[in-house]
Amino acid sequence: MIEQYHHKLTNSFMLWFDNYLLTKGEAYTNYSGVSLQHYVDERADSDYEVYGSPYKQWVIDSSITGATIPDGVTIGNTPTGAYDPLTSGRHGDMAIDFDNGRVLVKSSNENHDMTCDFAVKDFNLYFANETEEDLIVENKYTINSRIYPSEEVVIDPYDQVIPAVFFNTATAQNKGFAFGGMEETTTTITATVMSEDNYMLDGVLSIFADSRNELISVVPMSDHPLNEFNDLKSGTYNYKDLSKQYSKCNGLYINDVTTSKLTDRARKSLSNDIFVGFIDFEIQHHRFRHQ
Amino acid sequence: MKILPRDVQEALNKQVPRTLKNDFKKTFKKEFDSLKKEMIKEFLTHPVTLEISAGPSSKNISGTLNGTSNLFAFIGFSPGEDPIKPIIEILERIDYKEGSGSKTGVNFLVDIPQASDIFAVTPMPWATGRSWSKGIETGISGLGYLLNKGGKSSRSGVAIQVKNRVRSGGFSNTPYISALLKKYENKFKKLK
Repeated sequence: MIEQYHHKLTNSFMLWFDNYLLTKGEAYTNYSGVSLQHYVDERADSDYEVYGSPYKQWVIDSSITGATIPDGVTIGNTPTGAYDPLTSGRHGDMAIDFDNGRVLVKSSNENHDMTCDFAVKDFNLYFANETEEDLIVENKYTINSRIYPSEEVVIDPYDQVIPAVFFNTATAQNKGFAFGGMEETTTTITATVMSEDNYMLDGVLSIFADSRNELISVVPMSDHPLNEFNDLKSGTYNYKDLSKQYSKCNGLYINDVTTSKLTDRARKSLSNDIFVGFIDFEIQHHRFRHQ
Repeated sequence: MKILPRDVQEALNKQVPRTLKNDFKKTFKKEFDSLKKEMIKEFLTHPVTLEISAGPSSKNISGTLNGTSNLFAFIGFSPGEDPIKPIIEILERIDYKEGSGSKTGVNFLVDIPQASDIFAVTPMPWATGRSWSKGIETGISGLGYLLNKGGKSSRSGVAIQVKNRVRSGGFSNTPYISALLKKYENKFKKLK
C-alpha cells in the first residue's frame, strides 16, 4: 500500500514529539565508555554479532545540543573511527541499533572489548495500537531505569520498556473548511506517559501542556531517519534541518492539549509503583483529501 | 390617510417603546423560562444522564457499553457520588440580561454555557484533568472500571497490573453535552 495521510501524520508527530521533549526538557542522559556486552539474538542477521548496552532508545537527533550521538564504537583502546553507514551499513561491517541500544558487528568474534558513548532518552517513545487499559493494566513491562546499573547488563531487544510514552491515534474526523474542497481533518492522539517518579511525569506533562498552537511539519515516511537496523540512514539526522524542508504553513496544528495524571487513589490499584499521566492532543490539518 | 402631526409622532415614539417594553420583558421571561426548563428536562431524560443518575446498579440503557455493565461503574465513580449535579448547577445558572441598542423594542442577551464549561466540572474520577462528559462524546477507556476493582493480587513479576483483572466492554461514543448546548443555543437565538 502506498503511503496514506495517517502514515504521514504519525511519522511527523513522533519525530516532532521526540525533538520537542529532548529540546525543551533536555530529557536525555549522556553516558561515556559504556561496556557493550555480547549476547545472542536469533532474530538478528547471522552474519552479525550483537553487543548490547543496558539502555534502549539512544538519542539520534543531532539538533539536540549537548546530546552524544554515537558514530562508532571503541574496541579495546582503539576507536573504530568515524562510522559511516553509507559505506558500512546494511552490507557493511557494523550497524548501530539506536532503538534497541546495541551495536551489530560483522564478525565471528564474540569477545570484543567494546565500549560506546551515547545519550539515552529519559522516556522511550512507542506507537501503540492498544487501549489504555491494555497499556496500563494488562501489559507487562520491563523497567529500564535510567540509573546506571552497578553490574554489566544488557537490555533485551524488541520488547517495550518503561519509562516511556505510548501514542495512540484515537479518532479522526473530516469536515468542510473552505471553498474548493479544502477540509479540516481533526485527529486526536493520546499519549500515555509512564514514569518511575512524579518529578519526571510532571516534567513531561508540563512541557506538552505548553505545546498548544505549535506547528508540525508534515514529513513523509520516506524521510524517516532510521533504516531496517534502526540505524541512521544517512549517518546523521537533524530534526530541525529535516522539518525545514517541509513548509509549516500547511503543517499540522496542535489545536488543543489536555494533560492529566492518574490519581493516587487509582494508582493504588496497580500492583506496581508506576506514575501514569495522559496527554490528549487535538491536531488539525487543512488539506485537500481528494488530491 | 391623514398624517399625524410631528409633535404627536415624537410623543408616540417616546412613549410606545416604554409602554411595550414591560410586555416584551414579560413575554420573553415566560418563553425563556419555558425553554430553559425544556433544556434541563431534555438533559435529565438523556439516556446517559439517566444511567449515571441511577448509580452503580443501573442497566446500560444508553447502549454505550453494548449492555455490559453500566456507565457509572465503567467510568469508575464511587457509590454515593452524584456526577450529574455539577452539570445541573451550570444549566440552572443560564440567565439573560437586557442589552442596549434597540429603540423600539428590547434586546436580550442569553448567557449559555460552553461545552468546555461543563467539561471543566466533570472530571474523570481516576484522572481529574480529563472529563467524563467529553469522553461520552469522544470515547472513554475502560481504565476506570478496571482500576475501581479491588481484590487479591494476580500475576507476579515486574509489571503494572490491577489486583483483580476484569475485562471491560467496548465503549461507543454518543452525542451528549455539545449537541444539547448547540441545539438550545439555536433555540434561544430564535426567541422573540
